[in-house]
Amino acid sequence: MLELKGIYKWVNTGNHRTFLLKDVDMTVQAGEFISIMGPSGSGKSTLLNVIGMLDEFNEGEYIFMNESVHKLKEKQRSSLYKQYIGFVFQAYHLIDELTVYENIETPLIYQNIKTSERKAMVADILDRFQIVGKKDLFPTQLSGGQQQLVGIARALIANPKLLLADEPTGNLNSKQGEEIMNLFKQLNDEGMTIIQVTHSEKNAAYGSHIINLLDGMIQKN
Amino acid sequence: MFKNYFKTTIRNLRRNKGFAFINIAGLAVGMAAAILILLWAQNELSTDRFYKNESRIYEMYNRDKDAAGNKWAWPNTPKILATTLKNDYPEVEDAVRYNNVTFLLTQGEKHLNVQGAFADSGFLNVFDFPLKEGVSKQCLGSVYNIVLTEKLAKKFFGNENAIGKTVRIDSVHNCTVTAVLKDLPPNTQFNFEYLLPWSYMDKIGWSDSSWGNNSVFTYALLKPGVSQAAFDAKIKDITINHTKGSSYPSSTDVFTQPLSRAYLYSKSENGKLSDGPIKTVRLFLVIAVFILLIACINFMNLSTARSEKRAREVGIRKVLGAQRIKLIFQFIGESILFSLGSFLIALFIVKISLSGFNTLVNKELAINYSDPVFWLFAIAFVLISGILAGMYPAFFLSAFKPVKVLKGTFKKAEAAINPRKVLVVVQFTFAIVLIISTLIIQKQIQHTLDRDAGYNRNNLVYIFGQGDIDKNFTLIKNDLLKDGSVVSITRSSNPITRRWSDSWGFIWPGSTKQDEKTDFVRLGADADFVKTIGVKLIAGRDIDVYNYPTDSTAVLLNETAVKSMRLENPVGTIIKSADNNTEQWHVVGVVKDFILESPYQKDINPMIIFGPAGSSGYVLHLKLNPANSTASNLAKMEKVFKEYNPQYPFEYVFADESYARKFDDTRRTSKLSSLFAGLTIFISCLGLFALAAYSAENRLKEIGVRKVLGASVFSITSLMSKDFLKLVIISFAIASPIAWFAMHKWLDGYSYRIAIQWWIFALAGLISVLIASATIIFHVLRAAIANPVNSLRTE
Repeated sequence: MLELKGIYKWVNTGNHRTFLLKDVDMTVQAGEFISIMGPSGSGKSTLLNVIGMLDEFNEGEYIFMNESVHKLKEKQRSSLYKQYIGFVFQAYHLIDELTVYENIETPLIYQNIKTSERKAMVADILDRFQIVGKKDLFPTQLSGGQQQLVGIARALIANPKLLLADEPTGNLNSKQGEEIMNLFKQLNDEGMTIIQVTHSEKNAAYGSHIINLLDGMIQKN
Repeated sequence: MFKNYFKTTIRNLRRNKGFAFINIAGLAVGMAAAILILLWAQNELSTDRFYKNESRIYEMYNRDKDAAGNKWAWPNTPKILATTLKNDYPEVEDAVRYNNVTFLLTQGEKHLNVQGAFADSGFLNVFDFPLKEGVSKQCLGSVYNIVLTEKLAKKFFGNENAIGKTVRIDSVHNCTVTAVLKDLPPNTQFNFEYLLPWSYMDKIGWSDSSWGNNSVFTYALLKPGVSQAAFDAKIKDITINHTKGSSYPSSTDVFTQPLSRAYLYSKSENGKLSDGPIKTVRLFLVIAVFILLIACINFMNLSTARSEKRAREVGIRKVLGAQRIKLIFQFIGESILFSLGSFLIALFIVKISLSGFNTLVNKELAINYSDPVFWLFAIAFVLISGILAGMYPAFFLSAFKPVKVLKGTFKKAEAAINPRKVLVVVQFTFAIVLIISTLIIQKQIQHTLDRDAGYNRNNLVYIFGQGDIDKNFTLIKNDLLKDGSVVSITRSSNPITRRWSDSWGFIWPGSTKQDEKTDFVRLGADADFVKTIGVKLIAGRDIDVYNYPTDSTAVLLNETAVKSMRLENPVGTIIKSADNNTEQWHVVGVVKDFILESPYQKDINPMIIFGPAGSSGYVLHLKLNPANSTASNLAKMEKVFKEYNPQYPFEYVFADESYARKFDDTRRTSKLSSLFAGLTIFISCLGLFALAAYSAENRLKEIGVRKVLGASVFSITSLMSKDFLKLVIISFAIASPIAWFAMHKWLDGYSYRIAIQWWIFALAGLISVLIASATIIFHVLRAAIANPVNSLRTE
């Protein structure tokens, strides 16, 4: 599904060049569930952002669904990830001013999907996640676990091929976290490719494959 | 999509009521001010532009040189000009004259002194004022016709049809109403409540065919396709040619001014009509744009100040697939929505403040809601201010990188010159310019008010001689002096506060050819002029035809006249008219200069006060007896006037009130500039208030840390205030030279003026610093006093 070849990313501070990613090679097949692990500052989130095309890299090649990402223009990249990638965040990042329903609906709006179709799709996912009763509530009226559920629903609404999750359970208690991980597992079983960043060995174990990062480099085990 | 944006906006508004209030209120106040100014400007710009043949109508002007060689242009023309143009120039379709007049109009028991005008029979064809009743053709066709305006017709005839009824003019002639005009629109220079035919003027013997008597306005309607330049070239010498070979040939050129410019460019600058009300219109349009800009700046500032709060939303939307352009649309749409809300509130503010504003500018402005142009304008206005206000925030907010804002590493960029600070400086610069200007304008008015007019206005009234006053003058005078209501009376040719007449072409022993161009203001007196008016006699004696019969041809000169005539011993000098050697005057006295015209004019014009042979006794000036109350004096006077002039209402004018009216224009400017200064300060302070709030919020942690480290409330207060006051001081530095330059130019229009003093700037600076401090102190103190434990815990 995607392939990273010799990816470098750095920032220049004064005369020094600090590497965030160093010679990262990585291949992800469709249907995999990959966990990226590593200590704070090891470059986990940066790698995830590069994969999600939210962040750029300085060197290397990135091929996503047979497209060379590094050669694409901003607009094409945007339409590529809009179509294929869903994001889940540690801090949920729901829009406070919108209800659950409207939050989930928002990505569809940006993909210019018709109102009637949107309604059906949102209704479907609300049903699937069993949060129909909460659809008119605002994010602040929900528990953390519920908010993350909405976040995942939102990430999935546009039927992405790849789900990227940045410490999805980091702000949740263990019970809520377990529920979310079970949901990921279930999604993966249904064929969804997932890449998650996590601190927790336990959560990493849900995945089919673990990548360890240290100082921006993938540790070979 | 719009629904989604709209909801975000509305919910955001609800969550941030204070922010929303400041934004909308500031913008609404700014818009209301701009709308008022635009209404006024529209009225000015459309003055006399609504006639069917507007593009072909021209006002006739004269141009000549004074003794010093300066050119000047004026619109008063000889009465014979119109007929000559019509008869001798095929380019002229019609030429009409217009001259204001005030007659006593009587209908039954109703007597009214009303301003009207004499007009040629073609006047209403050239200027097609809408009719209410009757037809405009031939309505001024015969001598005893009269055309009334709706307002006057109503006063006389109520709701009855006025056509065919008669009105008595000056209790002499009965005139038949042939037409009723709708009331004149507010945007015309013509000011009359009735029109009398020119033939009536001929009938009562007021007309003349002299090329030297410039007294009436003449308008020419040129045939289609006639070029103004060619026509001007042809008529340039019309007066010169007609006076060639006469005893006093004229040197006056004639030219045309298109009606479209007649009002806006009515001031002569060295003979060119290049100035006038257009200057004020331009100035106020600039002010309108700035006030609107300042209100929009609030929006920009507050929106970007809140960027940290909106940044997350932007980040999420971007991750969810929003392109930047869509976010730009979202934010601009949001600001257009704000702008629309503000516009509706602004309309309401305009509605409740319009009557006050009308009094202030002395106009009858109104919004015409049924006019599609208004709505078109309204839409454009909302869009422009919305886009103007939203442009910067839209680009600023939509540029956030999602990775940064979502990871919480987002920090506002502390650029060396923060655009927000620049905007605050722009606001305060404008506010300070207005503060300084207001102070200088007020100082200039006070300075001129304090000027010695050269005569005593207290207890001085004047009465226009109407009806039998002239005939019974001696009886009236005796009775008034006898009953003690009045201590002295003089009969003059015009009110002491106005210039009605001037002439040139005088010779005296030692005068040169050049001196014949010296223009003298004319006044008249029979006796007791010095005593009644209270001017100072510095040589000779007052005119007194009752004790010195030859004083009929006596004159008084003012000091300036003596100086410009270079007379060593003025008393006894014989003055003659250059064109008519039989007319001659002898100087009996010299009076100190006094202000007849504008108190803003530094140099008093040379003046000759003629004895009765050289002036008409149109106006009585009376010095009331200071020993009695004004009310009892007036009551006694009324009795006397009613006895000798029963047909006419007893009407009088106090000289001091009339003198005070000379300040109306500058007072209006002063009031308007204070108003706009106040509004600008208000709007700017709203913005500053909100910025202080956000700054206090953003620096909560910093302040907490500083306090834990031992900072006092005072040191934190001054730390935070410094940031804002610095901006005010920079604004002051920028504003001062701008204000100095602008006010220097403004004062240039007044020859009697103040020097711009440094302390005015100091005062303005102090005022702005005080206002700014008062605005921010609440938030600054609250932040400084807060317990650091609370602010640090939230991190």
